[in-house]
Order: sequence, then structure tokens, then C-alpha cells
Amino acid sequence: MTLKTEMRVNRISDEVWEIPMTEKPGMLVPARIYATPGILQSMDRGVFDQVTNVACLPGITRHALCMPDGHWGYGFPIGGVAAFDLEAGVISPGGVGYDVNCGMRLIRTDLTLEDVQPKLERLMTELFRRVPAGVGAAGFIRLDRKSFDAVMMRGARWCVEEGYGWHRDLAHIEEGGCIAGADPSTVSDHAVGRGISQLGTLGSGNHYLEVQVVSNNRIFDPETATTLGLIGQDQIVVMVHCGSRGFGHQVASDYLKTFEKAMPRYGIAVKDQQLACAPFRSPEGRDYFAAMNCAANTAFANRQVITHQIRGAFAQVFGRSAEELGMELVYDVAHNIAKVERYPEGALLVHRKGSTRAFGPGSPDVPRDYQQIGQPVICGGSMETGSYVLVGTDRAVRETFGSTMHGAGRTMSRAQAKKSIRGEQLQRDMKRRGILVKAVSMSGLAEEAGFAYKDISEVVETVDRAGITKKVAELRPIGNIKG
Amino acid sequence: MAYSFHFLDDIALADLAFEAEGDSVEELFRAATQALLETLADPATVAATWERRVTNVEGNPADLLFEWLSNIVYWKDAAGVVFHDAELSVRQEGSSWNLAAVLRGASVDQTVQTLRSDVKGITKHLYDVRQEGTRWCARVVVDV
Repeated sequence: MTLKTEMRVNRISDEVWEIPMTEKPGMLVPARIYATPGILQSMDRGVFDQVTNVACLPGITRHALCMPDGHWGYGFPIGGVAAFDLEAGVISPGGVGYDVNCGMRLIRTDLTLEDVQPKLERLMTELFRRVPAGVGAAGFIRLDRKSFDAVMMRGARWCVEEGYGWHRDLAHIEEGGCIAGADPSTVSDHAVGRGISQLGTLGSGNHYLEVQVVSNNRIFDPETATTLGLIGQDQIVVMVHCGSRGFGHQVASDYLKTFEKAMPRYGIAVKDQQLACAPFRSPEGRDYFAAMNCAANTAFANRQVITHQIRGAFAQVFGRSAEELGMELVYDVAHNIAKVERYPEGALLVHRKGSTRAFGPGSPDVPRDYQQIGQPVICGGSMETGSYVLVGTDRAVRETFGSTMHGAGRTMSRAQAKKSIRGEQLQRDMKRRGILVKAVSMSGLAEEAGFAYKDISEVVETVDRAGITKKVAELRPIGNIKG
Repeated sequence: MAYSFHFLDDIALADLAFEAEGDSVEELFRAATQALLETLADPATVAATWERRVTNVEGNPADLLFEWLSNIVYWKDAAGVVFHDAELSVRQEGSSWNLAAVLRGASVDQTVQTLRSDVKGITKHLYDVRQEGTRWCARVVVDV
């Protein structure tokens, strides 16, 4: 097997591979990659370099991990997971990602493809009008600093209190849509300036809003799917992928600078400047954690406001209220975040960057409605292929700090993708295949072509066979909105 | 031509990268600025109805360029604008490098502007500013 690394990579099982501590000076734990042999061979050199850099960070526990959708990222690879001792370990913005609490949300409906197809053009136009996307887009909610502070502290709860959602939505959001410990005083004015007008906006890049179909023949676990409200029969659902926008990025940038200056004081040296970190218990570490939680709550709020707009669009187009249309929130889960969680080693700070929490049945952190099935995991594919709903397992908690994949993972650069196809051509091709795309930027659309991504089905099969998540249903796109 | 830039294919898989160069530090700044403005939107489709003066002082050209490009991204979000052009001067005074610039653009308007990528930030990944003979060069990876 030819890999894009000179490091020794040992097979642990058909889906788990380990780079021993001997392969790089300074490694404190081995690195483990979840992948089939095919996926492992396709992984870029950055994955191997970066996951072993992460294995060198102070206080890391058990293994540095990378999921099968892994690829090169800033500091940590995308798909990276690492857990740190709270006393001896560090916190790193490079382990969270610039887009703090970038995450996925899935909304079900009682509508079917037959109901929606005749009105799809009108529906997508209305969604495109109500959910601003692309460069510099501003949301419809005007906030002053005091209100934005409330968003930072209360996240999706603030939205529901202000009428942008239903109280029962909160039960189906990770952490109830509001992470404790957010402190707006730790956030710069620069970050606030970038974020204050962006609530309810999608952004661009790989972020999207997608109308999808759940067909009977793509449900792999009918009982679990039914518990999630996914009944098949060409049912329509809506998926949202976005995060904390410029606000979260500014929080990460601000603290990378802070940590670069602080590291010599704490005697920390890192293999990559983008792994800048500080002890979790240090003043700098505590402040970043509080600021990151502000950004995480803002992302929950962002997706909640977008949900409010989606419900409004559906109600307008179909002439029935969102409640009558059965537009319940299935789940909302982050895939860029650091959280304190309990494991056999004790309380650990788990960084997930391009990785989704995947707790199994019975976990107190899983919503009451889903206690029997485990935590829903929502994974977006490329806009040309499918997306998946999975559920977490006890094995994930034992092996991967309750973590799994988050999406397809890129295999081609944006620049290469743009050279391969024009956005207008891609839009026409997709329409012929029954997928209606509304995009602000045609070059941005070309960058997101399906061929620039891994085959999500192979990634899903990997985590399913590895037992760290169980696949429930595949969702097929019929409409997509991109920035 | 005193400055030039080109986008890189294989530096950042999920993001965008460019290399810029110029006959002087000031020309390098013009090249990198143009690359960033063109990443966000086609400047030819953006009017110049919004204006902001920006000044900054850093200890070296690399830090000054990083902060300047980050400032452009900040104003994109904070003012909800994309850019037509930027007039700038860069001067060395003793051990300090000074930037004085005027950013010009207009509020985002999808109906008249060709919008491109919503850059979230300038990163330090492979970030490099160097002098090669008589040319000043920079490599910049931007997070989208």
C-alpha cells in the first residue's frame, strides 16, 4: 500500500491505523487514523504530518485521532480529535477550527417529493431571498451590543425567547443550544464588529442550505429513523451547514496571537505555528474557552434564525403553518468545538475539528427523545451526492472520545475545481439531474463541485464498520443554496 | 509592470492561496491587496461609494501586510462592503514600517457585483514575506 508519508503506519484493524510514537520526535501518544485502505491511500500528506504534530501537544491523552473524512487543515487536520488533561493539557484554536461551532442542522417535514416538486423553483427562490448567503451578507435582525452579548451567552435560547423558533427546538440541539461559560468580556470589539450583523446568514465556501429527500430504499435502520421523525416515502427534509461566520474566525485569530505570545512563558513549543495553544487552566486558556463558547452559542443562534426563515419560506410557499407542515428540528450538532467531557481518565477537554460528537444510547447528553437510539450525527456530502444521518455508539465513547466523521472531506483544491468546471455549467448539469441550485457566486459554486470531494458513502461505511457510528438514512439533494 | 500576483492550485485544499510580488514593499502590498480584493469580488463591478482610511505601524513588512489584509477582511464584514480599489503607501521610518491607505468600495449588492469567495480570515499557514534580489514576494493562504 502506497501512502503519502514516509512514516510507519501499522494496521490495527480494517478501519483503524496507527502511527507509533517513534515516528516523530516529541510524540507523547500514538496517532490513529480511521480509514479503509483506499481512503488511507487517498489521504494527503498533511493528515499524517498534522495528526502526529497534534500527538506532541502537552497533556494529550490516549491517541491523537483523525476521522476518515480527514484532510489537511490549519494546525489540526480536518477530521482531527484530541483530548487533553484539564490540569496538564492545553487548549488550541487550531484544534477547534476558525469557524467555531461550524455544524449541521436537520429539519424534517411531513411533505413529500410529490408535494414539493411542482413548487421547488418557487421554494428555492423564497429560501434564497430569506436566508442571506455569500460575501458580506447581513441578516435581517438588527442587534445592539447588549443584545449581541445576550446572543453570545444564550445562543439558540435567545432566539426562541425572541420568537425565532419553538421551545421544543432546544431539546434537539447539542447542549440545548446554549453552552455555559460564555463570557462576552473575553471577546474583542473587532470580533463583535464582524459578527453583529451576520445572525441568520449562511456565508460561503462549503456552507449551504439543502432541500433533500428521504426515500424508503435509502433508510438503513427504519426503527431508528422513525424515532428521528424520518419516515421515508420520499419525505422532504432540510439540512443547514454553517457556523459562527466572521465572528468565530476573529475570536480564533485574536487568541492565536495571544497564545503565540504566551507560549514561551509556559515553556510550550509547537511543531506548527497554527497549533499555538495555552494551558487550559491558564488565564489565556480560560479566556479563549469563554470566548470560544460565545462563538459557539452565536453559531447555534445563527442556525436557529436560519431555521426560523426556512419555516417561514415553507409556510409561505405551501400555505400552511410550519407546525402544520411538521417542521420539527431533528437535531443540531457542532463539528468544530472544544468541550469538557467525562471519560474513564476523568474530565478531559475534547477538541473536535471537522469531527462530530457521537454519544451512544443512554448518555445523559443525548436528548430524552433519543435516549434509546443514541445521539444523531448529521453528515453533509457534496451538493451533488447524498448526505447521511447516523447515530452515536458506546464504542465511539470508548475508542474516539465519542467522536466520528463530519462530512465527505475534500480531495481537490478550490483552485483546481474552478479550472475543471464553470459554475454556470455545473448549475445546468445539476438541474438536468434534478438538483436546483441557487448560488450567489458562480466561481464559489464551481469550487464545491462533487468531484472535489471524497465519496461520502465510503467514509460513512468506514465509521459504520468501525462501529463508532451507525448509519440510519441517506438523504438525496433536490435543491441547494450556496453563498 | 511593477507588481503581479497569481493564485496557487495546491497549497490549501479547502481554502485559497496566492503569491504576490513587487519591485518594492509598497508594490508588494499593492499586489497582495489586489489579489485579496479580487478573491472577494470582481473590483470592476464594484462602485467606489464607501471609503475608509486605514493607518498602521508594525516592526516589519510581514506583520504590516498581515494586519493590513486582515483589516480588509474586517471591513468587509463590519461595513458589509466589497472593494473597488485601495490607494496605499508604505514607508519605513527607522525600525518601523508605516501603512497609510484608503479603501474604497460599496455595500454588497448581488444584483450588480460579481461576488466571489467570502474570505473569513488571513492565516499564518505557510505565510511568507521575503526579498528575492530586487523583488519583494509574499505567499498568503486565506481561509474561506
